[in-house]
Amino acid sequence: MSDFKIAHREQSSVNVLELKGYLDAHTAPKLEEAFQNLLKTQRFKIVVNCKELSYISSAGLGVFMAFIEDVRNNKGDIKLTNMTPKVYNVFDLLGFPLLYEIFKEEQEAITRFFEKSK
Amino acid sequence: MKLRRLFYLSSAFFLVLVKFTIDVIGKNVELEMGGLSLVRELVVIAAFGLLYVVIDAAASRRESTPVRKLGFILILLVIVSLAGLLTTLLGVAGFDAKNLSLVPLDYPTVFIGSLIALALGIVALVVFRLFRDLILINRRPAGRRNYYLFTGLVLATALSTILLRPLDAALIPGILFGLAMVFAVVNSFRLPWIIYLTKREKVFTLVYGFFLFIGFVLIDVMLAGNSFVNRALLYYSHPLREFVMLVSVFATLYAGMAFVSTLFHLPTAEAFDRKRSEVSSLHTLSKLVTQVFDFNELVDTVTSMTLQVVEASRCWLEIIHVAGEGGAPGLPDGAMGYRVQVAGMKSITQEEIDLLVSPEGPGIREAVMKERKAIVVDDLAKDPRFPELKKQTALAGSLVVVPLISHTGLSGILYATKKDTFGFVKDDVDVISAFADQATVAIENSRLIRESIERERLFREMLVAQEMQKKLLPQFLPSIPSLEIDAVSTPAFEVGGDYYDFMDFGDGRLGIVVGDVSGKGVSAAFYMSEMKGIFQALGRMYVSPKEFLTRANEALASSIDKHSFVSLLYAIIDARSGTLTIARAGHCPLLHVSGTTAAYVRPGGLGMGLSRGAKFDGAIEEETIRLKPDDVCIMYTDGVTEARKGDDEFGYERLMATASEARMNSASAIKTAILDTIKTFTEHRANDDDLTIVVLKWRGPEQRGERAQ
Repeated sequence: MSDFKIAHREQSSVNVLELKGYLDAHTAPKLEEAFQNLLKTQRFKIVVNCKELSYISSAGLGVFMAFIEDVRNNKGDIKLTNMTPKVYNVFDLLGFPLLYEIFKEEQEAITRFFEKSK
Repeated sequence: MKLRRLFYLSSAFFLVLVKFTIDVIGKNVELEMGGLSLVRELVVIAAFGLLYVVIDAAASRRESTPVRKLGFILILLVIVSLAGLLTTLLGVAGFDAKNLSLVPLDYPTVFIGSLIALALGIVALVVFRLFRDLILINRRPAGRRNYYLFTGLVLATALSTILLRPLDAALIPGILFGLAMVFAVVNSFRLPWIIYLTKREKVFTLVYGFFLFIGFVLIDVMLAGNSFVNRALLYYSHPLREFVMLVSVFATLYAGMAFVSTLFHLPTAEAFDRKRSEVSSLHTLSKLVTQVFDFNELVDTVTSMTLQVVEASRCWLEIIHVAGEGGAPGLPDGAMGYRVQVAGMKSITQEEIDLLVSPEGPGIREAVMKERKAIVVDDLAKDPRFPELKKQTALAGSLVVVPLISHTGLSGILYATKKDTFGFVKDDVDVISAFADQATVAIENSRLIRESIERERLFREMLVAQEMQKKLLPQFLPSIPSLEIDAVSTPAFEVGGDYYDFMDFGDGRLGIVVGDVSGKGVSAAFYMSEMKGIFQALGRMYVSPKEFLTRANEALASSIDKHSFVSLLYAIIDARSGTLTIARAGHCPLLHVSGTTAAYVRPGGLGMGLSRGAKFDGAIEEETIRLKPDDVCIMYTDGVTEARKGDDEFGYERLMATASEARMNSASAIKTAILDTIKTFTEHRANDDDLTIVVLKWRGPEQRGERAQ
């Protein structure tokens, strides 16, 4: 049940994290670690692809909150994409669309980084 | 028992007197032989039979070691010999041999002769009885059989001479005597007790055996020749003389064999002693390990036993706390990441230990930690591996260092030193290693016990926290006219992050708050209690839900850490007019069931603690709905909608359907219906998230008339 996986890839200097499975209090540390690794290596342009994320709990949402400040202070951002309606509802309920840019497609988010940097 | 022995003893004494009287009369009057001589012998046999019973009882009563028994016999022998020597100095006339019979020449001869015969007879009985214990010490069937055959032959030989005149010889007694001798030799090899003696006892046995051998040889010689002693015995009783003779010969053989055998065992006595003390101390230790939980006592036992068994001059044990990820407690920023705690020092001080094992840096300690096996330094002055030990030859000549290895890793080091160089042989190292193993188990045990105590303590703390948190939730439901209320909250763990509360404004208005702190467990419980404080403080001041939430966010945001947040739904119901105003800080929407329609009311909002100031304030919307009589409003936490069966969630639709179906019932029944449906859905598995439900049912505007009545 607490099956959760993260795949990381870099696409034109944007770091994409693909989340898969259940993100809850038990699996949140995995995502934390992934963010920490990116920040340690000064990589602040982050897109989180939630295409295969089937569940997110409040502890999972907390992970995004923990890093957003640092990332933005370093002129980067965390953008969220490809959420299923159910997952989007959890983000939406809490008002996350007010705090994060959420896109339907990963490519939109990546392009968005370049629009800004131009 | 005592009385009976006294009776036996006095009977024996009486019989001896009878015998003496007969002998005295027999000296004066020429009595015809045959009948009377048989009576004399029977009296002697009866007397010695009774004496044997008394001796047997005395011997059985006293627990004694083989060596003590030998010593006792030797003392007895010395006393009897001295007494015999004294009496011979008195100068008696002796016996005249006449017609194969012995005739005493005077009365003192009769008297002294009887005393000597009695004394030797009693010594023989005692020896007979005590050797029995030695021979039968470990009872193997063959050994028993040989012994009983010997006993039988001795008695048969004695009895066969019952009608024989003192100087007469016959075939049958001769054959029996010969056979008895054979079995005396056989039995004299039964010395199983010697092996188990300590070295000290073996030395004593050697001495005792030697003197006993000499003593019995002298008796043998006297009995074999024409001595006064032999004649006195023969005159007194022929069977007794045979008995004494056989016992004496046997005792001679046995004492001789004991002497020789001990002589052979003596060189290995020390090694045997050591092995035995090793076994017994390991046994003691392993018993202690399972019984004693006082760690210091155990360490003390380990080191003092090491000292004793291998005869080390100094010994101590170090417990090594290897640093985990966070470093060992109390550890200065050391490079190796371990901390040493010295325990069970024997004949050594901390300063001396520091001299031998440098407190920091490389040395024998780190060498043994690295190699993880025993290191022996035969000569401190000449070991190239540890040049730092060269200067410490005043402290020790040789050194053994053994690591304590458990399944979790290295837990300590046991050290032992000797004054001499090359003081430790392989055996010593093996023994110290065995002790180290025991110490490892003890250390491991004590660690496990400490941990389980700590777990127990935490468990109790959690129970206390649980009790306290329960008290943070409303203890009573508010009572508001025309409003039915019921609520339930169950944490997934001991403590949870769900929160609900009421604020009775006293004018028919009631504030209801339902919240959920991100995460679960202890951290959630802390924010939950903070939320309670904020609500109780600010709730009364701000009667608009939106205003309350913005103020509460200000209060909370300053103390909440950045990855935690609180979702809150705040509703104020006016039971007089039937209006409900809600604002939502990122929480699950309110479910409103009105007649056959049901809807989620979801004004915009943001979780508390996610953002401060204008962004939060701008996000919060307030919504007011007008209630119709018997409308039902349900506030809840995500434990309801996210209750799970496999990959399936209970969800909003099921909640809505359940509430709609139950809407005609009381608030309490609606709450129960929702809980039951969730339980059925999850197939009664324990909820893995905190779960809270608050149900409101508005009965319609209050009828003033009704109230007046």
